[in-house]
Amino acid sequence: MIDFLQALTNGAFIGAVFALAAVGLTLVFGVTNMINFAHGDLIMVAMYVGFVCWSLAGLDPLVAIPIAAVTLALVAVLVYAGIIRPVLGSSQLAQMVVTFGLLTFLRGVVQFAFTATPRRIDDPLVSRIRVVVGGVAVTGPQLVSAAGALLATVALAWFVHRTETGRALQAVGEDAAGASLMGINANRMYGLAWALAGVSTGVAGALLINSFGIDPLAGAAFGIMSFIAVALGGFGSVLGAALAGLLLGMVQGVVGLYFSGYTLTAALGIYLLVLIVRPQGLRGSR
Amino acid sequence: MFKRVSATRRKGRTLAVVAVSAMLAVSGCSSPDASGPDSDVTEIRIGTPLPLSGPNAPLGKDALQGAQLAADILNKGLPGLKLPLANDKGLPNLNHAKFKIVPADTQGKPENGASAVNHLVNDENVHVLAGALESGVTKTAAQQAERLAVPFVTSISSSPALTQQGLKWFFRTGPTDVTYAQSFFGLLDEQKKKNLPADKIAVLYMNNTFGTDASKVAKSLADSNNKTIVADVPFDPAATDLTSQLQQVRAAEPDALFVVAYPPTATLFINATQQLDYVPPAVMAFGAGFIDAGFIKSAGDGLEGMSRRVAWSEDLGNRNPAAKAVSDEYKKRYDAPLTENSARVFTTIMALAQAINNARSVDPDQIRAALTALDIPGRDTIMPWDGIKFDDQHQNTGARAVVEQRLDGAWKVVYPKDVAAQEIVWPASDAR
Amino acid sequence: MTAVDVVAVPAKRVPWHRYAGMAAVAALLIAYPLVVKTSFLQTIGVLALTMAIASTGWNILGGYAGQISFGHAVFFGTGMYGTTLLVSDGWSPWLTMLPIALLAAGLGVLIGLPTFRLRGHYFSIATLAIGMMVMSILPNIPALGATDGLSVPLLDNGFWNITFSLRDKTEYYYTALGLFAVATVAAWLFLRGKIGSYLEAIRDDDLAAAAVGVPVRRYKLYAVAMSAGLTSIAGSYHVMVVLFVDPSSSSDLSLSTAIALIAVVGGAGSMWGPLLGAWLVIALQEYTRTYLSTTGRTIDLMLFGALIILVAVVDPRGLVNLIKRGYRRFARRS
Repeated sequence: MIDFLQALTNGAFIGAVFALAAVGLTLVFGVTNMINFAHGDLIMVAMYVGFVCWSLAGLDPLVAIPIAAVTLALVAVLVYAGIIRPVLGSSQLAQMVVTFGLLTFLRGVVQFAFTATPRRIDDPLVSRIRVVVGGVAVTGPQLVSAAGALLATVALAWFVHRTETGRALQAVGEDAAGASLMGINANRMYGLAWALAGVSTGVAGALLINSFGIDPLAGAAFGIMSFIAVALGGFGSVLGAALAGLLLGMVQGVVGLYFSGYTLTAALGIYLLVLIVRPQGLRGSR
Repeated sequence: MFKRVSATRRKGRTLAVVAVSAMLAVSGCSSPDASGPDSDVTEIRIGTPLPLSGPNAPLGKDALQGAQLAADILNKGLPGLKLPLANDKGLPNLNHAKFKIVPADTQGKPENGASAVNHLVNDENVHVLAGALESGVTKTAAQQAERLAVPFVTSISSSPALTQQGLKWFFRTGPTDVTYAQSFFGLLDEQKKKNLPADKIAVLYMNNTFGTDASKVAKSLADSNNKTIVADVPFDPAATDLTSQLQQVRAAEPDALFVVAYPPTATLFINATQQLDYVPPAVMAFGAGFIDAGFIKSAGDGLEGMSRRVAWSEDLGNRNPAAKAVSDEYKKRYDAPLTENSARVFTTIMALAQAINNARSVDPDQIRAALTALDIPGRDTIMPWDGIKFDDQHQNTGARAVVEQRLDGAWKVVYPKDVAAQEIVWPASDAR
Repeated sequence: MTAVDVVAVPAKRVPWHRYAGMAAVAALLIAYPLVVKTSFLQTIGVLALTMAIASTGWNILGGYAGQISFGHAVFFGTGMYGTTLLVSDGWSPWLTMLPIALLAAGLGVLIGLPTFRLRGHYFSIATLAIGMMVMSILPNIPALGATDGLSVPLLDNGFWNITFSLRDKTEYYYTALGLFAVATVAAWLFLRGKIGSYLEAIRDDDLAAAAVGVPVRRYKLYAVAMSAGLTSIAGSYHVMVVLFVDPSSSSDLSLSTAIALIAVVGGAGSMWGPLLGAWLVIALQEYTRTYLSTTGRTIDLMLFGALIILVAVVDPRGLVNLIKRGYRRFARRS
């Protein structure tokens, strides 16, 4: 029983990371109606930002969180203005190509600058923490990731649903033309959505380096799980993406205990099952 | 709908088309040289298909450096190094022809192994091939070399099946997983003699060619050595967490755990041991991730007490003057330690040099004949091996493995007894 | 609800310059191996044509019917594994193509039945998940070689065995070219008339199409069946060239994205798109990996990524459109 709880807990914590990755992605989708395939690689870039902060200035990853958040927000806005905006009116296909090209480009730039050698933060602050509750062990990085995910989800959800700017974002997401008629600058809203996604990836990346190695492909696995989480949760729903991320993580954790070769299969299977029963995802509309 | 195309867009378009055509033109211009008679040979080209990008890039880079160091020493010499051909400045039997290493990136994928070999042989006109690191990639690369009738020597890939396919052009200098695993089992038997429990084995491995082959070898040797596999735990090579899998291992209460993981997942394994605060009495790693300097550095104290099987050990190397000279030179040039991977590749290039020297020719058939007849004693290499001599499956019968344990931040040889620096610390937790 | 009778559109006279364009492309394709002699460029040619066939298949579902799939590697892999198993059993490689294609088509329908209820991005991510699921299950199936994969037995050289010399890939190239021509004609015949118009209606607005009586569900299934079959044939051919199949080489996500990317970069919704896209993408990919990657400093990926972005930004409808516009401007000037 303890083993099951441990596996479930572990899964929940990795799920928190998936959730954190997914909320930014779903926000961009909800507002601009496009999937950013390079989302996972933005997280990877954030991880490198954290690494640079540590190797150049000795900053602990926790301190690097705001730095990564701001940097990635800037990067995201640049990406939006430079390559996303020109294809906004085009087909879904062109948008997909652009973000796919961005993904490849980011991996190339990072490998060019840092080589493919995996990097690691030596002895981050939170890694010394280890808590045991009722036989279940939880590490510092896991606690911090969960806290970060929770905070980010709550903050984002609050912003989108409770502030005026947030409502403007929603309006643009539902009907860009109508929103413009009401005086909302759609372009600015798109940029804002991307900036917020950038912030979430920045936070995610800085949290991840407490326990994961940093290399050009580090974003791939999280990227894919974030797409699945977004679809499972319902495109555009921040809460849905968070719940879905948690669910996917927990499934992987539990399955890893009994059928260790099928963790990914099980997570994908759950997603597909839910989709058959509820095509719009857990909390999607329509 | 679509915006009107601006002038910059038009320029962008033409630029793209011009760029692509230019690139294609440039690459098309290289034409193959005809290889003349051997008296004209001034350069011996060795093709090295390796993973130079992708998750195993650090391992590939290390291996390539081993090859380049060997070529450099063969060409320019290294004062004080007492190895055959080390100070002849080129091959004496072949007009002092110089060596050139020609790398190709396989990205660690089997489907690229074949095309890399194709390109190296047909376009780059290499005389022999040395590669390819991952067993899955070597498999396809070797089959391609077989079709093209070019000698292919592997140093690192350890899957036994590679030398069991009846290939005529494929050779292996390094040990197979059977040799490696036998060193683990020998160690386990030593523990039994001291009345320590050493019968229950758990296997934690990546679900890819390397992992599953290694686990198959472990299982068959367990059967013949009267040991039981109490847990068989494969995992997705792209996994993001291994705690649940380690729990499965813990539940089986093994005496020893065999771990087969490339660098990214090796880190996850260490994380899991720290989270659960659990380490089996013995952890025995099948190389791969546990060879990588980056992983070792980042694992820090988490690695203490764990063991790995290696074909070359720095600990042993320090006791062999030639090995020490090469190891020091490698560290000087590349600012990284010589590993068992780079040591093996280095040795293969030196062995190839001797073979070609014996053959006095770069003709593929002659090189192959020379390799088949090769007999280099262990003391003429930097390895703790009996030597280099291929059996009729083209497997080097002289390859040996040792087991080292991580103690106080360094690797110490703990098996076999005749070369061990000390006895293994068992259980591993005593060393942490 | 009765289906709307499709009014037969009087056949337009195809403008001569269209035929001239096709002839020019055909001439270039035929002349290619006679001009290029390095193994590297020949490999690009064979691979480009093979992927062009796969993407032509994808195009039917993605470009014409508007259902964007990121799981087409499943069909490509069906072709690879299917042909491997049958050839190991003694079949002639050519004879394996059609039965395996039918199997793939069936698989496509099986996948389409539950997933076609999903629309837009939901559908795409579902196909991505299915593709990844297949890839994660394959290493656990011993009959398909598990993690080691399967090797195709080396048959004697000859057209009937699709086995040729390795030193000069010309024969592989022309075989691929012929297969591509057949596949394109097949796709073109499939899309003529009613099916093509219905699929385009579904692509442009499937709700409106359903409202006017188009049997959307049924036609999507037709599309995926044909699409899967063609992609599978590409896989069958490919495995005879590389003689090896394993989970990563046949069902990786990067293969699915490559198939889709090729069609889109070239111009989805056009018959020529996959051909142009395949040549560009494969040439870039092979060139960058072979010549730029060995330093470990990946200018290759940066270049590849930048160029893909460039194409999409400069003309989102793909290379085909770019060329058409260029030609039109040239025609206007002269």
